[in-house]
Amino acid sequence: MAIAIFPYFSLPLPADEAHPQGSIAHRPLAFATITGSNGSSTRCIVMPDSGADACLFPLSLEIDLKLDILGLPKGLTGGVGSSANTTCWDTIAVDLGHGIAFSVYSGFSKGMDQMGLGLLGQVGFFDRYRVEFLLSRKVFTIESA
Amino acid sequence: MATTVADLPELLKGIPPGVWVAISESQNKVLAYGADIEAAHDEARQKGEQLPLMVRVPDQNMAMFL
Repeated sequence: MAIAIFPYFSLPLPADEAHPQGSIAHRPLAFATITGSNGSSTRCIVMPDSGADACLFPLSLEIDLKLDILGLPKGLTGGVGSSANTTCWDTIAVDLGHGIAFSVYSGFSKGMDQMGLGLLGQVGFFDRYRVEFLLSRKVFTIESA
Repeated sequence: MATTVADLPELLKGIPPGVWVAISESQNKVLAYGADIEAAHDEARQKGEQLPLMVRVPDQNMAMFL
């Protein structure tokens, strides 16, 4: 049974009309090593997202992994403000450290480049791990389900 | 605590929006950055860091709704 504790990141957001003093975004971010089916690895930021159907990463990370984009199976994904994003799929290994490591069929989408981080979603992540968000303590925990 | 890199916003201060940044977690410093993620990663490798943390500087800092 693996359990790991991660700190929240508190990121300042600039002022706008709705938030004249600016605001703070509290995000449950972690750092992961991801390894493609070709054995190539890179490290990136990931975030558990219970609203995501599956695990999804920026297309740039697929390029960094030197995966064969043209040869991978494709489908469409969408989210808030975007839809019908062409997404390439590959089975990758994700290692967050502290015994939290798993293999998952993940999408890579150009639409995720804007965010620059990977989303750990329901299939492949939340079906294997229990996540507790403790923002009042500025930590979240990930535990084998 | 599992995550390293103490202050990510501070580390990314002054780096242009929209670029990919290669960060040494052990040294807590930026090694390279650029629009091309592979080029930034390669430059970090040349500086001895095989697996830098690759982070994209947001085009705009805004609230996210996923």
